[in-house]
Amino acid sequence: MTTVLRLAWRNVWRNPRRTGLTVAATVFAVYLVVVFVAMADGSHSKMIEDSVRIQSGHVQLAADGYLENRTLEYFLEVDDTIEKALASAPEVEAWAPRVNSAALLSFGASTQGAILIGVDPEREARVSTLFDRVSAGAFLPAGQERSLVLGEQLAKNLGAELGDEILLYSMAYTLQNAYELFVLTGTLKLPDASLERGLAVVTLADAQEFLAYDNRVSEIALRTGSARQVPALTRELEAALAGASGVRVHPWNEVMPEIEQFIIVDDAGMYIMLLILVIVVGFGILNTILMSVMERQQEFGAMLALGLRPSRIFAMVYAESMMLAVVGLGIGLALAYPTVLWFIGHPIPLTGEGMEAMAQLVAMEPVMTFELRETTLPGATITILGVAALAAFYPAVKASRARPVDALRSL
Amino acid sequence: MPLAGVRDFAGSLFLTTTWRMAVRNLFRNPRRTAVVFSAIAIGLGGLMIAMAVNYGMIFQMVELAIQNELGHIQVHGAGWSAKPGVEIRVDEASTIQGVSGAALPGLRAWAPRVRGEGLASSARGNVGIALVAIDPEREAAVTGIREAVFEGAYLEGNERRALVGDRLARRLHVDVGDRIVVSAQDVAGDLTGEAFRVGGVFRTASLELDERTVFIPIDRGKRMLGMNGDISELVVVAEEQEDVDELRAALAKRLPGGLEVRTWSEIRPLLQYMVDVFQQMGWIIYAAIFVAMAFGIANVLLMSVYERMREIGIMMAIGMKPGRMVGTVVAESLCLTLFGVAGGFAVGLGGVALLSDGIDLSRWAEGLNAFGIPAQIVPVIPENDLIAPVVVAVVTALIASLWPAVRAVRSRPAEAVRHV
Repeated sequence: MTTVLRLAWRNVWRNPRRTGLTVAATVFAVYLVVVFVAMADGSHSKMIEDSVRIQSGHVQLAADGYLENRTLEYFLEVDDTIEKALASAPEVEAWAPRVNSAALLSFGASTQGAILIGVDPEREARVSTLFDRVSAGAFLPAGQERSLVLGEQLAKNLGAELGDEILLYSMAYTLQNAYELFVLTGTLKLPDASLERGLAVVTLADAQEFLAYDNRVSEIALRTGSARQVPALTRELEAALAGASGVRVHPWNEVMPEIEQFIIVDDAGMYIMLLILVIVVGFGILNTILMSVMERQQEFGAMLALGLRPSRIFAMVYAESMMLAVVGLGIGLALAYPTVLWFIGHPIPLTGEGMEAMAQLVAMEPVMTFELRETTLPGATITILGVAALAAFYPAVKASRARPVDALRSL
Repeated sequence: MPLAGVRDFAGSLFLTTTWRMAVRNLFRNPRRTAVVFSAIAIGLGGLMIAMAVNYGMIFQMVELAIQNELGHIQVHGAGWSAKPGVEIRVDEASTIQGVSGAALPGLRAWAPRVRGEGLASSARGNVGIALVAIDPEREAAVTGIREAVFEGAYLEGNERRALVGDRLARRLHVDVGDRIVVSAQDVAGDLTGEAFRVGGVFRTASLELDERTVFIPIDRGKRMLGMNGDISELVVVAEEQEDVDELRAALAKRLPGGLEVRTWSEIRPLLQYMVDVFQQMGWIIYAAIFVAMAFGIANVLLMSVYERMREIGIMMAIGMKPGRMVGTVVAESLCLTLFGVAGGFAVGLGGVALLSDGIDLSRWAEGLNAFGIPAQIVPVIPENDLIAPVVVAVVTALIASLWPAVRAVRSRPAEAVRHV
């Protein structure tokens, strides 16, 4: 068998120019595949992380039916069972209870509708990034009663300044009208435009009082190390909370299915493009091997006449194709790997109004991040080798079927 | 030599002999040519289909946004684009006179709207909403909202009924016939509320509409918000996209000064950016695929030139000019590539024709709708996509033939002939 491999290796380099061109095409494809997949994975992860850290939390606990209805009727109470379950899961880095509702905000002559959330400032700081996004003032300072934080655009639309008293109007849990004055203590700069013009944050205690909600909460948001721990954590919590009836555990992709679906569709488009690229390169490999086989028909004939088994010839030609692919793959990976590593350390800022607006549409900060998943390099390897294996089939069959008589006659 | 060579080269491309030789050379080894041809045809064809789906997505997104919400042109009071609100209004009579007077170029329909920010409440919940008061008749000519109603009925006259999106209906737990209370701030800054029966439920591809928009009859909206004689906006639809700029200009001249008259791409620049970015991406993706193909094309040409070294040497020995020799190789490359592009067009256009009923992506509808993309996508091949591959292919063919062509010219007649 080693003879076959040695022969194959020599054959590959018989025509270095032709082989070089095919290897170059393979290198190009491998490089593009790895860099593009890393770029897409990076931006998708960033998209998930950004929106998870602003909105849902990696995992969320809520009452059965809350997710579909999102009204005050569905609530949890943070009791011992829940606290114990949360404490028992080591992946839970932090958790924060929230109250969610909607409110009309009035200031002077201006009124705006907004999502109203009540958060526990201390706990929330460890779960979401709302705190890091304060653009003016402070985030619900301790000791300040009825303080209110608004998205920057919302405050602008209301024409309110820090320190102004804003009237909130909503419907309480008891179905009575709720009115209350809150003091604007801070504004938030958010990557999502619709949140920035539609988010109002107050303290959990104030929200519970305002909405006559006692110590009920709408949801408990959890943070873990990364989105990849979510499935395991979800299972764990579901088991721990099996006793607590009516408590549901929702991973982020249940809370925000649109993000997961967007990623699926986006990925599908990219993989189709890359597959086409790889197929084109596959034809290049096919042509190179086919040419070299056609040139060597006499040689194969002679080898067969001397008693070499067709399967050996088949194996040799197959080995040639794989070697070609492996060389291209090796160089391609050797070039792509450092590129991706460099970009992981140096995300590309997206500049220009258009790119920033696009990023905002998908609730992302305008930065292109890269991520190398453990599946990317093996995936690229398997794809290229698979295509090379397909491309080699016809030439290999052709070679092993060379007819000794014809070959010798033409000598 | 270089100048004369370039002249010879250029001249050779106008000779039928050059092209006949190129085609014959390609058919000398039909198998080899066929592999490259298939690579180009399948690669380009597949790419065209994939791109057409992408374009379909983007174009239909724009179309839907225009059709469902934006219209082609909107007229507002000064300051609306900076900070929309009930306090910014336009006089109804003079605006309507402006749009409905003597015929405007390319005008198809128009509709007045009154807008407010508010809260919709039912016995089961509150949701912040955009309150949009419409003239049912006129609105139906401008947007697709009438067709989007799938339960109950569209608005009619001045009835005390409201249209809500299906997501909003779900969140409020209401159905056709149920009561909702809509609160909003009026022009005086006071909070007003009015009860409506849900007259119909609609579903569009826009989350904004489905989740947080309530439509009511315009006269009720005017009274509720205290707009007497004013409206918030006038939506105008042109016959064709090409008419929009001209229509905008004519409209702006006709209307009282100080109003904001903006086209959809000014109102939502993001949509225009997305279309632009996609078209640019199209070029980049075609370029990437053709670079991969260039290696294959160069390979085949190089093989074929090397096989013909003797022949080329003899031709040059009997006086063929180097420039014309380069011409034959370049012509061969162009023929191969352009045949491939023709094959690719056949695959791509054929595929798109097969998919002309649309691709059903409703499994991911929610995610797509969040970005205003319809779940049923009809692939589209814009003109740019018929030009880009040809341009990229010609450039590729020229670059890929450089090395083989130079090799051909460098063959030394004396050595070549000695081999004979």
